[in-house]
Amino acid sequence: MTRVEHLRNLALLGACAVALAILPHALTVYLRSFVLFTMMYVVLALSWNIISGFTGYTSFGHVAFYGIGAYACAILVADYRWHWLPTLGVGAVLAAVVGVAIGYPVLRLKGPYFAIAMLGAAEGTRVVATVWDGLTHGGLGISLPSAETSLETYYAMLVLMLLTVVVAYGVGHSRFGVRLNAIREDEVAAEALGINATLYKLTAFTLSAVFPAVAGGIQAYKVLYIDPPSVFFVQITIAMALMSMLGGKGTVIGPIVGAILLYTAQELTWVNFPTAHLIAYGLFIVLVARFMPRGLMGFAIDRGWVRKGMVH
Amino acid sequence: MGAHPDGIALEARDLRKAFGGVRAVDGCSFAVPRGKISGLIGPNGSGKTTTFNLLTGLAAPDGGEVLYRGENLAGLKPYQIFRRGVTRTFQVTRIFREMTVLENMLSVTGLDVPDRVARARAEELIAFVNLTHLRAEYGGRLSYGQQKLLEFARALMTDPDLILLDEPAAGVNRTLLQHLLDHIHRLQGQGKTIVIVEHDMNVIMNHCERIFVMDGGVKIAEGPPAEIQRDERVLEAYFGRRR
Repeated sequence: MTRVEHLRNLALLGACAVALAILPHALTVYLRSFVLFTMMYVVLALSWNIISGFTGYTSFGHVAFYGIGAYACAILVADYRWHWLPTLGVGAVLAAVVGVAIGYPVLRLKGPYFAIAMLGAAEGTRVVATVWDGLTHGGLGISLPSAETSLETYYAMLVLMLLTVVVAYGVGHSRFGVRLNAIREDEVAAEALGINATLYKLTAFTLSAVFPAVAGGIQAYKVLYIDPPSVFFVQITIAMALMSMLGGKGTVIGPIVGAILLYTAQELTWVNFPTAHLIAYGLFIVLVARFMPRGLMGFAIDRGWVRKGMVH
Repeated sequence: MGAHPDGIALEARDLRKAFGGVRAVDGCSFAVPRGKISGLIGPNGSGKTTTFNLLTGLAAPDGGEVLYRGENLAGLKPYQIFRRGVTRTFQVTRIFREMTVLENMLSVTGLDVPDRVARARAEELIAFVNLTHLRAEYGGRLSYGQQKLLEFARALMTDPDLILLDEPAAGVNRTLLQHLLDHIHRLQGQGKTIVIVEHDMNVIMNHCERIFVMDGGVKIAEGPPAEIQRDERVLEAYFGRRR
Protein backbone atom coordinates (compact mmCIF):
# COMPACT_ATOMS: atom_id res chain seq x y z
CA MET A 1 0.00 0.00 0.00
CA THR A 2 1.39 3.38 -0.91
CA ARG A 3 1.85 6.30 1.42
CA VAL A 4 -0.99 8.09 -0.36
CA GLU A 5 -3.35 5.20 0.31
CA HIS A 6 -2.38 5.08 3.98
CA LEU A 7 -3.04 8.83 4.24
CA ARG A 8 -6.37 8.40 2.48
CA ASN A 9 -7.38 5.67 4.94
CA LEU A 10 -6.27 7.83 7.85
CA ALA A 11 -8.36 10.71 6.51
CA LEU A 12 -11.33 8.34 6.15
CA LEU A 13 -10.93 7.24 9.76
CA GLY A 14 -10.68 10.88 10.83
CA ALA A 15 -13.92 11.69 9.02
CA CYS A 16 -15.65 8.76 10.73
CA ALA A 17 -14.30 9.96 14.07
CA VAL A 18 -15.67 13.44 13.57
CA ALA A 19 -19.05 12.10 12.44
CA LEU A 20 -19.27 9.74 15.41
CA ALA A 21 -18.24 12.54 17.76
CA ILE A 22 -21.07 14.79 16.57
CA LEU A 23 -23.64 11.99 16.22
CA PRO A 24 -24.76 11.40 19.84
CA HIS A 25 -26.13 14.91 20.11
CA ALA A 26 -28.59 14.07 17.37
CA LEU A 27 -29.61 10.69 18.76
CA THR A 28 -32.13 9.41 21.25
CA VAL A 29 -30.74 7.74 24.36
CA TYR A 30 -31.61 4.33 22.89
CA LEU A 31 -29.84 4.97 19.59
CA ARG A 32 -26.85 6.47 21.38
CA SER A 33 -26.46 3.29 23.32
CA PHE A 34 -26.96 1.25 20.16
CA VAL A 35 -24.05 3.06 18.50
CA LEU A 36 -21.95 2.62 21.66
CA PHE A 37 -22.46 -1.13 21.67
CA THR A 38 -21.80 -1.34 17.95
CA MET A 39 -18.47 0.38 18.55
CA MET A 40 -17.81 -2.03 21.40
CA TYR A 41 -18.32 -5.01 19.13
CA VAL A 42 -16.00 -3.45 16.55
CA VAL A 43 -13.36 -3.34 19.31
CA LEU A 44 -14.03 -6.94 20.35
CA ALA A 45 -14.05 -8.36 16.82
CA LEU A 46 -10.91 -6.48 15.77
CA SER A 47 -9.06 -7.63 18.89
CA TRP A 48 -10.11 -11.25 18.49
CA ASN A 49 -8.97 -11.01 14.88
CA ILE A 50 -5.37 -10.19 15.88
CA ILE A 51 -4.77 -13.60 17.45
CA SER A 52 -7.42 -15.62 15.64
CA GLY A 53 -7.53 -13.99 12.20
CA PHE A 54 -4.00 -12.76 11.62
CA THR A 55 -2.28 -15.51 13.60
CA GLY A 56 -4.72 -18.38 13.07
CA TYR A 57 -5.22 -19.32 16.74
CA THR A 58 -9.00 -19.42 17.04
CA SER A 59 -9.88 -18.37 20.58
CA PHE A 60 -13.18 -19.42 22.13
CA GLY A 61 -12.36 -17.73 25.40
CA HIS A 62 -11.71 -14.09 24.70
CA VAL A 63 -14.62 -13.02 26.85
CA ALA A 64 -12.30 -13.72 29.80
CA PHE A 65 -10.44 -10.49 29.14
CA TYR A 66 -13.64 -8.53 28.68
CA GLY A 67 -14.87 -9.85 32.03
CA ILE A 68 -11.59 -9.06 33.75
CA GLY A 69 -11.79 -5.46 32.54
CA ALA A 70 -15.41 -5.19 33.65
CA TYR A 71 -14.58 -6.48 37.13
CA ALA A 72 -11.53 -4.23 37.48
CA CYS A 73 -13.72 -1.22 36.81
CA ALA A 74 -16.67 -2.34 38.96
CA ILE A 75 -14.58 -3.29 42.00
CA LEU A 76 -12.42 -0.18 41.97
CA VAL A 77 -15.35 2.17 41.42
CA ALA A 78 -17.84 0.52 43.79
CA ASP A 79 -15.54 -0.60 46.62
CA TYR A 80 -12.59 1.74 46.41
CA ARG A 81 -14.29 4.87 45.13
CA TRP A 82 -11.96 5.35 42.18
CA HIS A 83 -12.86 7.55 39.29
CA TRP A 84 -13.91 5.16 36.52
CA LEU A 85 -11.42 6.28 33.85
CA PRO A 86 -8.18 5.11 35.51
CA THR A 87 -9.79 1.73 36.24
CA LEU A 88 -9.73 1.09 32.49
CA GLY A 89 -5.94 1.21 32.61
CA VAL A 90 -5.89 -1.21 35.54
CA GLY A 91 -8.14 -3.58 33.59
CA ALA A 92 -5.85 -3.36 30.56
CA VAL A 93 -2.73 -4.14 32.59
CA LEU A 94 -4.48 -6.98 34.40
CA ALA A 95 -5.68 -8.46 31.11
CA ALA A 96 -2.14 -8.23 29.71
CA VAL A 97 -0.73 -10.06 32.75
CA VAL A 98 -3.42 -12.74 32.63
CA GLY A 99 -2.98 -12.88 28.86
CA VAL A 100 0.69 -13.73 29.20
CA ALA A 101 -0.02 -16.22 31.99
CA ILE A 102 -2.71 -18.02 29.99
CA GLY A 103 -1.10 -17.54 26.60
CA TYR A 104 2.32 -18.90 27.42
CA PRO A 105 1.13 -22.45 28.12
CA VAL A 106 -2.01 -22.49 25.98
CA LEU A 107 -0.43 -21.13 22.79
CA ARG A 108 1.58 -24.35 22.59
CA LEU A 109 -1.65 -26.04 21.58
CA LYS A 110 -2.95 -25.82 18.06
CA GLY A 111 -6.30 -25.76 16.25
CA PRO A 112 -9.24 -27.22 18.15
CA TYR A 113 -7.08 -27.95 21.21
CA PHE A 114 -6.23 -24.28 21.56
CA ALA A 115 -9.87 -23.30 21.02
CA ILE A 116 -11.08 -25.69 23.71
CA ALA A 117 -8.34 -24.73 26.16
CA MET A 118 -9.36 -21.09 25.77
CA LEU A 119 -13.00 -21.99 26.35
CA GLY A 120 -11.85 -23.69 29.55
CA ALA A 121 -9.70 -20.73 30.56
CA ALA A 122 -12.67 -18.37 30.18
CA GLU A 123 -14.95 -20.65 32.17
CA GLY A 124 -12.22 -20.84 34.79
CA THR A 125 -12.08 -17.06 35.09
CA ARG A 126 -15.86 -16.98 35.45
CA VAL A 127 -15.71 -19.54 38.25
CA VAL A 128 -12.99 -17.55 40.02
CA ALA A 129 -15.13 -14.41 39.75
CA THR A 130 -18.09 -16.36 41.17
CA VAL A 131 -16.36 -17.97 44.15
CA TRP A 132 -13.97 -15.20 45.18
CA ASP A 133 -16.68 -13.49 47.24
CA GLY A 134 -14.34 -11.24 49.17
CA LEU A 135 -13.16 -9.49 46.05
CA THR A 136 -15.97 -9.82 43.53
CA HIS A 137 -19.07 -10.19 45.73
CA GLY A 138 -19.58 -13.55 43.98
CA GLY A 139 -22.88 -14.34 42.36
CA LEU A 140 -24.52 -11.23 43.79
CA GLY A 141 -22.67 -9.12 41.31
CA ILE A 142 -21.67 -5.49 41.76
CA SER A 143 -23.79 -2.38 41.44
CA LEU A 144 -21.88 0.72 40.52
CA PRO A 145 -22.76 4.08 42.04
CA SER A 146 -24.51 5.99 39.34
CA ALA A 147 -22.85 9.12 38.13
CA GLU A 148 -23.04 8.33 34.51
CA THR A 149 -24.03 10.51 31.69
CA SER A 150 -24.28 8.31 28.64
CA LEU A 151 -22.03 10.77 26.80
CA GLU A 152 -18.95 9.95 28.90
CA THR A 153 -19.04 6.25 28.13
CA TYR A 154 -19.92 6.96 24.51
CA TYR A 155 -16.82 9.05 24.00
CA ALA A 156 -14.64 6.61 25.90
CA MET A 157 -15.81 3.82 23.61
CA LEU A 158 -15.25 6.00 20.57
CA VAL A 159 -11.66 6.72 21.59
CA LEU A 160 -11.05 3.04 22.35
CA MET A 161 -12.48 2.03 19.00
CA LEU A 162 -10.29 4.50 17.11
CA LEU A 163 -7.24 3.24 19.01
CA THR A 164 -8.10 -0.38 18.25
CA VAL A 165 -8.64 0.37 14.57
CA VAL A 166 -5.29 2.17 14.36
CA VAL A 167 -3.46 -0.68 16.11
CA ALA A 168 -5.17 -3.40 14.04
CA TYR A 169 -4.42 -1.43 10.88
CA GLY A 170 -0.80 -0.97 11.91
CA VAL A 171 -0.39 -4.66 12.69
CA GLY A 172 -2.17 -5.74 9.53
CA HIS A 173 -0.05 -3.65 7.21
CA SER A 174 3.33 -4.27 8.80
CA ARG A 175 5.96 -6.98 8.53
CA PHE A 176 4.93 -7.93 12.07
CA GLY A 177 1.48 -8.75 10.70
CA VAL A 178 2.94 -10.62 7.75
CA ARG A 179 4.87 -12.80 10.21
CA LEU A 180 1.72 -13.50 12.19
CA ASN A 181 0.14 -14.60 8.89
CA ALA A 182 3.16 -16.84 8.26
CA ILE A 183 2.60 -18.52 11.64
CA ARG A 184 -1.05 -19.05 10.69
CA GLU A 185 -0.12 -20.59 7.34
CA ASP A 186 2.69 -22.90 8.48
CA GLU A 187 4.29 -22.49 11.88
CA VAL A 188 7.15 -24.91 11.19
CA ALA A 189 8.14 -23.09 8.02
CA ALA A 190 7.79 -19.75 9.82
CA GLU A 191 10.24 -20.88 12.51
CA ALA A 192 12.60 -22.13 9.83
CA LEU A 193 12.54 -18.62 8.34
CA GLY A 194 13.72 -16.96 11.52
CA ILE A 195 10.39 -16.17 13.16
CA ASN A 196 10.39 -16.67 16.93
CA ALA A 197 6.85 -18.03 16.87
CA THR A 198 6.45 -18.21 20.66
CA LEU A 199 7.28 -14.53 21.07
CA TYR A 200 5.15 -13.40 18.11
CA LYS A 201 2.14 -15.43 19.22
CA LEU A 202 2.37 -14.20 22.78
CA THR A 203 2.65 -10.58 21.61
CA ALA A 204 -0.39 -10.97 19.35
CA PHE A 205 -2.36 -12.72 22.08
CA THR A 206 -1.58 -10.08 24.70
CA LEU A 207 -2.43 -7.29 22.27
CA SER A 208 -5.75 -8.99 21.54
CA ALA A 209 -6.47 -9.27 25.28
CA VAL A 210 -5.94 -5.62 26.22
CA PHE A 211 -8.62 -3.87 24.15
CA PRO A 212 -11.51 -6.16 25.17
CA ALA A 213 -10.60 -5.50 28.82
CA VAL A 214 -10.95 -1.76 28.33
CA ALA A 215 -14.22 -2.33 26.48
CA GLY A 216 -15.44 -4.45 29.39
CA GLY A 217 -14.60 -1.66 31.82
CA ILE A 218 -16.49 0.94 29.81
CA GLN A 219 -19.43 -1.40 29.46
CA ALA A 220 -19.53 -1.99 33.23
CA TYR A 221 -19.70 1.74 33.85
CA LYS A 222 -22.32 2.08 31.14
CA VAL A 223 -24.75 -0.55 32.45
CA LEU A 224 -23.87 -0.01 36.15
CA TYR A 225 -24.41 -3.61 37.20
CA ILE A 226 -22.31 -6.67 36.45
CA ASP A 227 -22.29 -10.27 37.60
CA PRO A 228 -20.25 -13.28 36.45
CA PRO A 229 -22.79 -14.75 33.99
CA SER A 230 -23.28 -11.43 32.19
CA VAL A 231 -19.64 -10.41 31.67
CA PHE A 232 -18.20 -13.91 31.18
CA PHE A 233 -21.01 -14.79 28.79
CA VAL A 234 -19.74 -17.27 26.21
CA GLN A 235 -22.00 -15.74 23.58
CA ILE A 236 -19.80 -12.63 23.61
CA THR A 237 -16.83 -14.74 22.46
CA ILE A 238 -18.97 -16.35 19.80
CA ALA A 239 -20.09 -12.92 18.62
CA MET A 240 -16.44 -11.81 18.25
CA ALA A 241 -15.67 -14.90 16.18
CA LEU A 242 -18.80 -14.68 14.04
CA MET A 243 -18.39 -10.99 13.31
CA SER A 244 -14.81 -11.52 12.18
CA MET A 245 -15.74 -14.54 10.10
CA LEU A 246 -18.67 -12.80 8.45
CA GLY A 247 -16.61 -9.76 7.50
CA GLY A 248 -13.48 -11.75 6.74
CA LYS A 249 -10.99 -12.70 9.39
CA GLY A 250 -7.37 -11.85 8.80
CA THR A 251 -8.32 -8.49 7.31
CA VAL A 252 -8.78 -5.12 9.02
CA ILE A 253 -12.01 -4.05 7.34
CA GLY A 254 -13.67 -7.46 7.71
CA PRO A 255 -14.24 -7.52 11.48
CA ILE A 256 -15.40 -3.89 11.42
CA VAL A 257 -18.01 -4.57 8.75
CA GLY A 258 -18.95 -7.89 10.36
CA ALA A 259 -19.48 -6.27 13.77
CA ILE A 260 -21.67 -3.50 12.38
CA LEU A 261 -23.80 -5.88 10.27
CA LEU A 262 -24.20 -8.60 12.84
CA TYR A 263 -24.85 -6.34 15.81
CA THR A 264 -27.43 -4.40 13.82
CA ALA A 265 -29.09 -7.62 12.69
CA GLN A 266 -29.04 -8.96 16.23
CA GLU A 267 -30.58 -5.79 17.61
CA LEU A 268 -33.34 -5.78 15.00
CA THR A 269 -34.28 -9.43 15.45
CA TRP A 270 -33.98 -9.25 19.22
CA VAL A 271 -36.38 -6.34 19.42
CA ASN A 272 -39.01 -8.07 17.30
CA PHE A 273 -38.46 -11.76 18.09
CA PRO A 274 -36.85 -12.12 21.53
CA THR A 275 -35.53 -15.64 21.07
CA ALA A 276 -35.36 -15.85 17.30
CA HIS A 277 -32.03 -14.08 17.11
CA LEU A 278 -30.24 -17.18 18.37
CA ILE A 279 -31.77 -19.30 15.63
CA ALA A 280 -30.85 -16.62 13.12
CA TYR A 281 -27.30 -16.65 14.53
CA GLY A 282 -27.01 -20.41 14.03
CA LEU A 283 -28.38 -20.26 10.52
CA PHE A 284 -26.02 -17.45 9.75
CA ILE A 285 -22.96 -19.43 10.86
CA VAL A 286 -23.94 -22.30 8.61
CA LEU A 287 -24.55 -20.07 5.60
CA VAL A 288 -21.32 -18.10 6.01
CA ALA A 289 -19.25 -21.25 6.47
CA ARG A 290 -20.87 -22.87 3.45
CA PHE A 291 -20.95 -20.02 0.95
CA MET A 292 -18.37 -17.49 2.14
CA PRO A 293 -15.74 -19.39 4.09
CA ARG A 294 -13.44 -16.39 3.95
CA GLY A 295 -16.15 -13.87 4.70
CA LEU A 296 -17.28 -10.80 2.77
CA MET A 297 -13.71 -9.60 2.29
CA GLY A 298 -12.63 -13.00 0.97
CA PHE A 299 -15.61 -12.91 -1.38
CA ALA A 300 -14.58 -9.46 -2.61
CA ILE A 301 -10.90 -10.45 -2.95
CA ASP A 302 -11.78 -13.54 -4.99
CA ARG A 303 -13.72 -11.36 -7.41
CA GLY A 304 -10.91 -8.87 -7.75
CA TRP A 305 -12.80 -6.02 -6.07
CA VAL A 306 -10.21 -5.84 -3.31
CA ARG A 307 -6.49 -6.34 -3.72
CA LYS A 308 -4.87 -9.50 -2.39
CA GLY A 309 -2.30 -9.11 0.32
CA MET A 310 -2.12 -6.59 3.12
CA VAL A 311 1.27 -5.07 2.37
CA HIS A 312 0.97 -4.45 -1.35
CA MET B 1 33.57 -27.08 20.61
CA GLY B 2 36.39 -26.63 18.15
CA ALA B 3 37.28 -23.90 15.69
CA HIS B 4 36.87 -24.93 12.10
CA PRO B 5 39.78 -25.49 9.82
CA ASP B 6 39.46 -23.28 6.78
CA GLY B 7 37.50 -24.81 4.00
CA ILE B 8 34.81 -26.34 6.19
CA ALA B 9 31.46 -24.56 6.35
CA LEU B 10 29.68 -26.93 8.70
CA GLU B 11 30.61 -30.10 10.47
CA ALA B 12 28.31 -32.76 11.89
CA ARG B 13 29.89 -34.95 14.54
CA ASP B 14 28.31 -38.20 15.63
CA LEU B 15 24.73 -36.98 15.15
CA ARG B 16 22.07 -39.21 16.65
CA LYS B 17 18.30 -39.16 16.51
CA ALA B 18 15.85 -41.92 17.32
CA PHE B 19 12.09 -41.91 16.88
CA GLY B 20 10.88 -44.51 19.34
CA GLY B 21 12.82 -47.62 18.40
CA VAL B 22 13.82 -46.36 14.97
CA ARG B 23 17.33 -44.94 14.92
CA ALA B 24 16.87 -42.56 11.99
CA VAL B 25 20.30 -41.02 12.35
CA ASP B 26 22.78 -43.19 14.17
CA GLY B 27 26.16 -41.59 14.65
CA CYS B 28 26.49 -39.62 11.43
CA SER B 29 29.54 -37.42 10.85
CA PHE B 30 30.53 -35.34 7.86
CA ALA B 31 32.16 -32.03 6.99
CA VAL B 32 30.60 -29.77 4.37
CA PRO B 33 33.24 -27.99 2.24
CA ARG B 34 32.87 -24.21 2.15
CA GLY B 35 31.86 -22.50 -1.08
CA LYS B 36 30.99 -25.73 -2.85
CA ILE B 37 27.89 -27.62 -3.89
CA SER B 38 27.64 -30.90 -1.99
CA GLY B 39 25.13 -33.68 -2.35
CA LEU B 40 23.60 -35.87 0.32
CA ILE B 41 22.19 -39.09 -1.10
CA GLY B 42 20.99 -42.43 0.09
CA PRO B 43 18.07 -44.82 -0.33
CA ASN B 44 14.63 -43.93 1.06
CA GLY B 45 14.64 -43.94 4.84
CA SER B 46 18.40 -43.61 5.11
CA GLY B 47 18.09 -40.50 7.29
CA LYS B 48 18.78 -37.64 4.88
CA THR B 49 15.80 -35.45 5.74
CA THR B 50 16.20 -36.20 9.44
CA THR B 51 19.80 -35.08 9.13
CA PHE B 52 18.63 -31.82 7.53
CA ASN B 53 16.13 -31.42 10.36
CA LEU B 54 18.89 -31.89 12.92
CA LEU B 55 21.12 -29.34 11.17
CA THR B 56 18.34 -26.74 11.05
CA GLY B 57 16.82 -27.32 14.50
CA LEU B 58 13.51 -28.76 13.33
CA ALA B 59 14.40 -31.80 15.39
CA ALA B 60 16.71 -31.75 18.40
CA PRO B 61 19.49 -34.33 18.19
CA ASP B 62 19.69 -37.00 20.92
CA GLY B 63 23.45 -36.70 20.71
CA GLY B 64 26.28 -35.22 18.69
CA GLU B 65 27.31 -31.77 17.57
CA VAL B 66 26.69 -29.47 14.63
CA LEU B 67 29.65 -27.12 14.39
CA TYR B 68 29.18 -23.92 12.48
CA ARG B 69 31.49 -20.92 12.78
CA GLY B 70 32.97 -22.34 15.95
CA GLU B 71 29.59 -22.77 17.60
CA ASN B 72 27.55 -25.88 18.34
CA LEU B 73 24.11 -25.46 16.75
CA ALA B 74 22.70 -28.66 18.24
CA GLY B 75 19.73 -27.90 20.46
CA LEU B 76 19.16 -24.37 19.15
CA LYS B 77 15.70 -23.47 17.90
CA PRO B 78 15.09 -23.28 14.13
CA TYR B 79 14.78 -19.48 14.15
CA GLN B 80 18.06 -19.14 16.03
CA ILE B 81 19.90 -21.32 13.53
CA PHE B 82 18.32 -19.46 10.64
CA ARG B 83 19.49 -16.14 12.05
CA ARG B 84 23.04 -17.49 12.11
CA GLY B 85 22.98 -17.85 8.35
CA VAL B 86 21.80 -21.42 7.74
CA THR B 87 18.67 -21.72 5.63
CA ARG B 88 16.73 -24.54 3.99
CA THR B 89 13.91 -25.54 1.71
CA PHE B 90 11.58 -28.49 2.20
CA GLN B 91 11.01 -31.74 0.37
CA VAL B 92 7.34 -30.86 -0.08
CA THR B 93 7.22 -27.08 -0.48
CA ARG B 94 6.06 -25.12 2.54
CA ILE B 95 5.16 -21.80 1.07
CA PHE B 96 2.49 -19.70 2.79
CA ARG B 97 -0.55 -20.45 0.65
CA GLU B 98 -2.89 -17.62 1.59
CA MET B 99 -0.24 -14.98 1.42
CA THR B 100 0.96 -13.29 -1.72
CA VAL B 101 4.36 -13.98 -3.25
CA LEU B 102 5.63 -10.65 -1.91
CA GLU B 103 4.24 -11.38 1.56
CA ASN B 104 5.93 -14.77 1.55
CA MET B 105 9.20 -12.98 0.98
CA LEU B 106 8.62 -10.25 3.58
CA SER B 107 7.72 -12.72 6.33
CA VAL B 108 11.36 -13.73 6.69
CA THR B 109 12.95 -12.45 9.89
CA GLY B 110 16.51 -11.78 10.92
CA LEU B 111 16.92 -8.97 8.52
CA ASP B 112 17.54 -5.81 10.51
CA VAL B 113 16.82 -3.43 7.69
CA PRO B 114 14.15 -0.82 7.14
CA ASP B 115 10.96 -1.84 5.37
CA ARG B 116 12.02 -0.10 2.17
CA VAL B 117 15.26 -2.11 1.93
CA ALA B 118 13.50 -5.41 2.69
CA ARG B 119 10.97 -4.71 -0.04
CA ALA B 120 13.65 -3.87 -2.56
CA ARG B 121 15.47 -7.09 -1.73
CA ALA B 122 12.23 -9.09 -1.98
CA GLU B 123 11.41 -7.65 -5.39
CA GLU B 124 14.94 -8.31 -6.57
CA LEU B 125 14.78 -11.97 -5.55
CA ILE B 126 11.29 -12.38 -7.02
CA ALA B 127 12.75 -11.13 -10.28
CA PHE B 128 15.74 -13.48 -9.82
CA VAL B 129 13.38 -16.48 -10.00
CA ASN B 130 11.18 -14.89 -12.69
CA LEU B 131 8.04 -14.54 -10.60
CA THR B 132 7.61 -10.78 -10.91
CA HIS B 133 4.36 -11.15 -12.86
CA LEU B 134 2.94 -13.19 -9.94
CA ARG B 135 4.17 -11.02 -7.06
CA ALA B 136 0.62 -10.09 -5.97
CA GLU B 137 -0.80 -13.60 -6.40
CA TYR B 138 -1.44 -15.99 -3.52
CA GLY B 139 1.27 -18.59 -3.02
CA GLY B 140 -1.31 -21.36 -3.16
CA ARG B 141 -2.32 -20.35 -6.69
CA LEU B 142 1.17 -20.93 -8.07
CA SER B 143 2.09 -24.12 -9.93
CA TYR B 144 4.19 -26.58 -7.97
CA GLY B 145 7.33 -25.63 -9.83
CA GLN B 146 6.68 -21.94 -9.19
CA GLN B 147 6.15 -22.72 -5.53
CA LYS B 148 9.57 -24.38 -5.47
CA LEU B 149 11.09 -21.26 -6.98
CA LEU B 150 9.29 -19.08 -4.45
CA GLU B 151 10.49 -21.21 -1.57
CA PHE B 152 14.01 -21.06 -2.94
CA ALA B 153 13.90 -17.27 -3.32
CA ARG B 154 12.39 -16.91 0.16
CA ALA B 155 15.26 -18.89 1.65
CA LEU B 156 17.66 -16.33 0.18
CA MET B 157 16.07 -13.23 1.75
CA THR B 158 18.68 -12.91 4.48
CA ASP B 159 21.63 -13.60 2.21
CA PRO B 160 22.51 -16.85 4.04
CA ASP B 161 25.92 -18.50 3.87
CA LEU B 162 24.77 -22.08 3.96
CA ILE B 163 21.79 -23.25 1.94
CA LEU B 164 20.27 -26.71 2.42
CA LEU B 165 17.96 -27.82 -0.38
CA ASP B 166 15.74 -30.86 0.23
CA GLU B 167 14.92 -32.44 -3.13
CA PRO B 168 14.84 -29.29 -5.26
CA ALA B 169 14.26 -31.32 -8.43
CA ALA B 170 11.25 -33.33 -7.25
CA GLY B 171 8.13 -32.46 -9.22
CA VAL B 172 9.89 -29.81 -11.27
CA ASN B 173 9.96 -29.99 -15.06
CA ARG B 174 13.25 -30.04 -16.96
CA THR B 175 13.23 -26.41 -18.07
CA LEU B 176 12.47 -25.15 -14.60
CA LEU B 177 15.03 -27.51 -13.11
CA GLN B 178 17.72 -26.17 -15.40
CA HIS B 179 16.70 -22.72 -14.29
CA LEU B 180 16.96 -23.68 -10.64
CA LEU B 181 20.37 -25.27 -11.16
CA ASP B 182 21.61 -22.12 -12.87
CA HIS B 183 20.52 -20.18 -9.79
CA ILE B 184 22.30 -22.62 -7.52
CA HIS B 185 25.53 -22.27 -9.50
CA ARG B 186 25.22 -18.50 -9.44
CA LEU B 187 24.93 -18.61 -5.65
CA GLN B 188 27.99 -20.81 -5.45
CA GLY B 189 29.75 -18.22 -7.61
CA GLN B 190 28.96 -15.71 -4.87
CA GLY B 191 30.76 -17.88 -2.35
CA LYS B 192 27.75 -19.64 -0.82
CA THR B 193 27.86 -23.21 0.45
CA ILE B 194 25.07 -25.45 -0.81
CA VAL B 195 23.99 -28.93 0.23
CA ILE B 196 21.44 -30.79 -1.86
CA VAL B 197 19.43 -33.85 -0.87
CA GLU B 198 18.27 -35.38 -4.12
CA HIS B 199 17.11 -38.61 -5.71
CA ASP B 200 17.77 -37.39 -9.24
CA MET B 201 21.23 -38.81 -9.88
CA ASN B 202 21.82 -36.57 -12.90
CA VAL B 203 21.52 -33.55 -10.66
CA ILE B 204 23.82 -35.04 -8.02
CA MET B 205 26.48 -36.41 -10.35
CA ASN B 206 26.64 -33.41 -12.67
CA HIS B 207 26.40 -30.58 -10.20
CA CYS B 208 27.92 -31.63 -6.88
CA GLU B 209 31.61 -31.52 -6.18
CA ARG B 210 31.40 -33.68 -3.12
CA ILE B 211 28.87 -36.37 -2.28
CA PHE B 212 27.96 -37.89 1.06
CA VAL B 213 26.12 -41.19 1.00
CA MET B 214 23.93 -42.25 3.90
CA ASP B 215 22.43 -45.62 4.64
CA GLY B 216 20.80 -46.79 7.85
CA GLY B 217 21.42 -43.47 9.55
CA VAL B 218 25.17 -43.36 9.03
CA LYS B 219 27.48 -42.00 6.36
CA ILE B 220 28.77 -44.96 4.38
CA ALA B 221 30.79 -43.15 1.74
CA GLU B 222 32.08 -39.74 0.77
CA GLY B 223 33.91 -38.41 -2.26
CA PRO B 224 33.69 -36.79 -5.67
CA PRO B 225 30.99 -38.08 -8.05
CA ALA B 226 33.28 -40.31 -10.13
CA GLU B 227 34.46 -42.13 -7.04
CA ILE B 228 30.99 -42.52 -5.56
CA GLN B 229 29.65 -44.04 -8.76
CA ARG B 230 32.18 -46.88 -8.46
CA ASP B 231 31.92 -47.34 -4.71
CA GLU B 232 30.90 -50.89 -3.80
CA ARG B 233 29.20 -49.86 -0.55
CA VAL B 234 27.08 -47.31 -2.37
CA LEU B 235 26.01 -49.75 -5.06
CA GLU B 236 25.18 -52.24 -2.36
CA ALA B 237 23.07 -49.73 -0.44
CA TYR B 238 21.07 -48.90 -3.53
CA PHE B 239 20.88 -52.25 -5.31
CA GLY B 240 21.60 -54.86 -2.65
CA ARG B 241 24.56 -57.19 -2.23
CA ARG B 242 26.07 -58.70 -5.37
CA ARG B 243 25.75 -62.48 -5.45
